[in-house]
Amino acid sequence: MKKLLTVVLASFMILTACSNNANTGNAGNTGTQPSGKQEITVWAWDKAFNVGAMEKAKAMYTETNSDVTINVIENAQADIIQKLNAGFNSGTTKTLPTIVLIEDYRAQSFLQAYPDSFFALDEFINAADFADYKIGPTSFDGKQYGVPFDTGVTGLYVRTDYLEQAGYTVADLQDITWDQYIEIGKAVKEKTGKQMLTQDPNDLGLIRMMIQSAGSWYLQEDGTTPHLADNAALTQAFETYKNIMDAGIVKVISDWSQFVGAFNNGDVASVPTGNWITASIKAEASQSGNWAVVPFPTLPNVAESVHASNLGGSSWYVLNVDGKEAAAEFLKATFGSSVELYQTLVTDIGAIGTLKAAATGEAYTTADEFFGGQKAISDLAAWTEQIPNVNYGMHTYAIEDILVVEMQNYMNGTELSKALSNAQTQADSQIRK
Amino acid sequence: MEATKKGMGSQAKANLTGWAFISVACIMIVIFYFYPMIQAFILSFKSGNGMNLEFVGFDNYIRLFSDTTFKAALFNTMIYLIIQVPVMILFALFISVLLNSSTLKFKGFFRTAMFLPAVTSLVAYSIIFKYLFATDGLINKMLMKVHVLNAPIEWITDPFWAKVTIIIAITWRWTGYNMIFYLSSLQNIDNSIYEAARIDGASATRQFFGITIPLLKPIILFTSITSTIGTLQLFDEVVNITKGGPGNSTLSISQYIYNLSFKYSSDFGYAATVSYSIVIIIIILAILQFKLAGDDK
Repeated sequence: MKKLLTVVLASFMILTACSNNANTGNAGNTGTQPSGKQEITVWAWDKAFNVGAMEKAKAMYTETNSDVTINVIENAQADIIQKLNAGFNSGTTKTLPTIVLIEDYRAQSFLQAYPDSFFALDEFINAADFADYKIGPTSFDGKQYGVPFDTGVTGLYVRTDYLEQAGYTVADLQDITWDQYIEIGKAVKEKTGKQMLTQDPNDLGLIRMMIQSAGSWYLQEDGTTPHLADNAALTQAFETYKNIMDAGIVKVISDWSQFVGAFNNGDVASVPTGNWITASIKAEASQSGNWAVVPFPTLPNVAESVHASNLGGSSWYVLNVDGKEAAAEFLKATFGSSVELYQTLVTDIGAIGTLKAAATGEAYTTADEFFGGQKAISDLAAWTEQIPNVNYGMHTYAIEDILVVEMQNYMNGTELSKALSNAQTQADSQIRK
Repeated sequence: MEATKKGMGSQAKANLTGWAFISVACIMIVIFYFYPMIQAFILSFKSGNGMNLEFVGFDNYIRLFSDTTFKAALFNTMIYLIIQVPVMILFALFISVLLNSSTLKFKGFFRTAMFLPAVTSLVAYSIIFKYLFATDGLINKMLMKVHVLNAPIEWITDPFWAKVTIIIAITWRWTGYNMIFYLSSLQNIDNSIYEAARIDGASATRQFFGITIPLLKPIILFTSITSTIGTLQLFDEVVNITKGGPGNSTLSISQYIYNLSFKYSSDFGYAATVSYSIVIIIIILAILQFKLAGDDK
């Protein structure tokens, strides 16, 4: 009997011991820091693009700093978000990386929700060195937290051979409006039987690109008040979206692989999206010479709309954990200042950064045979500077889920003003703070 | 005297041994089940982004009633429940009776074949269904080849058909699982009851409704409760096949909880409130099912 009691007590002891252990772990990893040798862990998604870029930076930095070990770990974006949320909430930073990549649309929701979990980088990088529109999402409360990375500058990727069959040249597509785009799309459909573009009804990326080209967003400039009902750009974008869908020039898809598959198989004549798609378009080598990138179309009847916008794009953040100084030094020497690194990224990966100084490098001005000899990178870099600066705030995806539903109602016959005011009411009740 | 004392001692000892054995399990359950449950309940009265949570009283519960997304998720889940669960139960019952027939050849093969879907990974089968039911997927191509359809059905991107696709998928996945329960309890029904019925001239249909169904009642109740709970917790299929879309026409409550916690600026407080709403709904439905089945025990 005594033995049994001992067993029970012992198991108690083990349980409490376990939890104690975890607690001391939380309080800070004191004593585990190796002297001399620094270790930096990086999380990023997209092996070919973000992870690839980080590997290049690592190779460059470790050449001169042999005392630093950098582990680059690939995680899906959704997994990174989930792990960060779980880690920050539990207070266990042990499992978290030193450097993490966060999408610009989501950055504020992390910076504002977990202000003490990130390490400010003002002493390491100069925000003015980067494209202006990247600073809003990457800073909070007057402090710069992110090292701006890739631009999501948009372009209209077009199949020149299909356009030719329909009687258009690339020159006809320079600086067009979405209305003109629809007309061209109808002609292409008639002559070649190919659709003009793909759309996923669950993803309003096209709407986001359209409204940012007009300097507008789902939220007002304060980043918290929903701006849907009286938003002229959004209203026009909804109308344009419906016109595109109704014109019968859209191949409806439901995920990323169908999206990539559609243009790789030659099913669509154009892809209006962020420049990070370049690598996927070039993946189909047999289409070399049949593509061109033209400026993004503008919203008709919206004076502010320019031929440049943004989709996606992300930045590097340093978490407030052990090794943060080493990580910040690493970012300072690479993504924060190295023009040379950005040349490598353009040539080897096709990633265009937002460091202003990098655009003058040689790699940016090379002609690309895949795009029929166009200086595609140089064009995209030039458009980057024209992207209107908007405050993404912290509710992009919450509002988008509301808008997706109202878009469907609008397509099915609900009046536009009513659909948007419904969306406004829902957003107001969901985002009250 | 001596003997009785010793007897009592050994009984107490046996009791204590018993308690000691179950105490480990009990403590574990308390720590890993009840403690989180209570914490989640407290959490459901808080709101805010990420770490900045503050008590808001019943605000979250009031918000539920004006939240159109929650209502849509609840509506979708109820549609799945009302259509899918009865269809699946009847289907499983029907198949199990067929497979229980004493004249059936290759019984083992058919049983395995029917049960196999229940072994597949939820994510793996969802992804396969997604591609089978794509607009230019195998199902549409087949239906068009045999001239059932003139134009492809938008299985994934149309609000109505997307729900149908989800229902087809979960029915395929879970029918075999429920069938196993029926099959095992069918085998426990004494054959002499059927024999007596046959001698009395009862038809096969009469036997099914007069003997099989009443004797299977406890199992039917059990499977309908577990299926109800399963449907209310539906997540993998919806996320992988339609992502809750188009719009939120296939969104399930569990997916909404996930979105609130991880997709939007995380509000774990409100997410906990939505979780508790599922608990309340499950309790109500379970009570209802017990009452309908007329089980007083």
